[in-house]
Amino acid sequence: MKKIEKSVADAYFRARTTMIIIYLTIGVIVSYGVVLFAEPLSQITFNGFPLHYYMGAQGAILTFIILLFINAVVSDKIDKKYGIDAKRNESISAGKTYDH
Amino acid sequence: MDAQFLVSLTLIVATFGLYIGIALYNKAKATSDFYVAGRGVPPVFNGMAIGADWMSAASFIGLAGTVMILGYDGLAYIMGWTGGYLLLTFLLAPQLRKYGRYTVPEFIGDRYRSNTARLIAAVATIIISFTYSVGQLSGSGVVIGRLLEVNAAVGTLIGVVLIAFYSALGGMKGITWTQVAQYVVLIIAYLIPVIFMAMQLTGNPMPWVSYGQVVDEMRALDQDLGITEYIVPFTEGTKWQFLALMFTLMAGTAGLPHVIVRFYTVSTMKAARWSGAWALLFIGLLYLSAPAYAAFSRFILMTQVAGSSINDLPAWTASWVDTGLLSVADTNGDNILQWQEIVISNDIVVMATPEIANLGIFVIGLMAAGAMAAALSTAGGLMIAISAALSHDIYFRSINPNASEKKRLLVGRWSIVIATVVAGLVALNPPGAITQIVAWAFALASGSFFPALLLGVWWKRSNGPGVIWGMVVGLSVTLGYIFAAKFGGFTILGIIDTGAGVFGASAAILTNIIVSLATKEPVKEVQEEVIDLRYPEQMTYRDGEVWMDDTEDIPNSTK
Repeated sequence: MKKIEKSVADAYFRARTTMIIIYLTIGVIVSYGVVLFAEPLSQITFNGFPLHYYMGAQGAILTFIILLFINAVVSDKIDKKYGIDAKRNESISAGKTYDH
Repeated sequence: MDAQFLVSLTLIVATFGLYIGIALYNKAKATSDFYVAGRGVPPVFNGMAIGADWMSAASFIGLAGTVMILGYDGLAYIMGWTGGYLLLTFLLAPQLRKYGRYTVPEFIGDRYRSNTARLIAAVATIIISFTYSVGQLSGSGVVIGRLLEVNAAVGTLIGVVLIAFYSALGGMKGITWTQVAQYVVLIIAYLIPVIFMAMQLTGNPMPWVSYGQVVDEMRALDQDLGITEYIVPFTEGTKWQFLALMFTLMAGTAGLPHVIVRFYTVSTMKAARWSGAWALLFIGLLYLSAPAYAAFSRFILMTQVAGSSINDLPAWTASWVDTGLLSVADTNGDNILQWQEIVISNDIVVMATPEIANLGIFVIGLMAAGAMAAALSTAGGLMIAISAALSHDIYFRSINPNASEKKRLLVGRWSIVIATVVAGLVALNPPGAITQIVAWAFALASGSFFPALLLGVWWKRSNGPGVIWGMVVGLSVTLGYIFAAKFGGFTILGIIDTGAGVFGASAAILTNIIVSLATKEPVKEVQEEVIDLRYPEQMTYRDGEVWMDDTEDIPNSTK
């Protein structure tokens, strides 16, 4: 066990949280944002669809999937930068699952 | 007994044999430790298992039909049910994994240091999973009813027997690999008809890129008929209803006990993030295809069925009319079946379309097998959630802490059987379309678990009284709004019963915050546990300091 500076730990948390806020903001814009402005967006055509319909049926879902994978990759990178070892995490959490 | 019946039955029996075989094979190897077996599952396959658990009869049977009937307004279901994975994976799943408990009520009870909170959460789990399983049972009723050409109610009864048997069998062991197989069956069953229809109608085997032109042609058809166009937004409800429904489904997804439990079985926070990403990719395959399915079905119905003579309807109509879910009455007496005279239930669109489009008996049989896979895998997960809440969180932790393993299993088994039978009785006369019933389950989850988990993970000041009142108020507001809107005609901004979660969740969050601030702050230990969830497993928060476990990892040190 070694102690980590509070500032380092805080920086880790801040980096992760900032990314999550960015992803959620994008997620909200492509779903709620598009619905809010559905009428004006329906004038634009994309790939044969009116844009509001395209975003609801495909665009939003594709964005969600991409965001989740970006999150997985970027979080791994942040973990690596702070010297987190995925294997060690597995061993630590293996002993933590409650079994009644 | 015709060829279709035999093919469908053979496919269903064959896939059932496959699931049971996989379950038995894994049981033999995994009796030593269920959790180790769970940890051995790579995130990709865990993602498939989450997909099968998640995609229920509502997704498989009901979704495309709902989009077809509601048009653009049905897309709230598509975005809501996928967007929930953002909330779940970004805000809850990794943290819940680090906290490491077995059920959702257990997390709530331990995090908030409150037995009352655990009991309320257990009761909420039962109510939510029960409502959800009513949707599953009425879904399997549709499939079985069509297969055996009996009324959907009789089909539901047969489904009750099947699901009670299947859950009691499959529920007792690690069913992850069975669910992987169920995912594969259901996604193949779903995609094949859409791809066939895309080739028939557009000559392009990629429905996702080609159905735009069908949507465009339908616009002209709608204009000729003088009905509201398919893609025009907010024809079925207000914009606020659309937004409220979408929120309800998202927050509900992040709060459904049987889905969250899947994230407890992964190895680490990192694996939870990857599982969430893979899960949505696999789920997305179906959700991206459902609107295409809807557009193709509607187009075929409008161009090939509507306009034919009432005495010369295709053979498939008769068998669906028998189930009571389709009506083709020549109301204006001109001997021609008009589009407006076809009344088709949301719930049969997916099952009927392969017949309507004449895709052959094999595809139709495959659809039946896929729908059964969807209903069974989800029902299995739901029944385990109900049984865990009853036998573990209520019976073992509160009523009889000295109960033997055997006694707890017995309580678990009986709770599965009773829950299935009662849900089946309710499903005999379903109080709404499948997607609608399921939406109520989501409204309840977003009014109870989502706020409790969100604040429990992200706000250390939230305490026992806060969560108790939060859940009570959230559930009451949600239930009250559902009843007021459904039976009393009371609505705010045109938001109907299915969007109730937005009020439930806001009320629960507000109540939790106000009551928490008005009462004593949680003990230091609890607050430290919550801060600890900010960091990966290797970092531990203690007494205001963060410690890193930098010991060299010895491979297989846990074995």
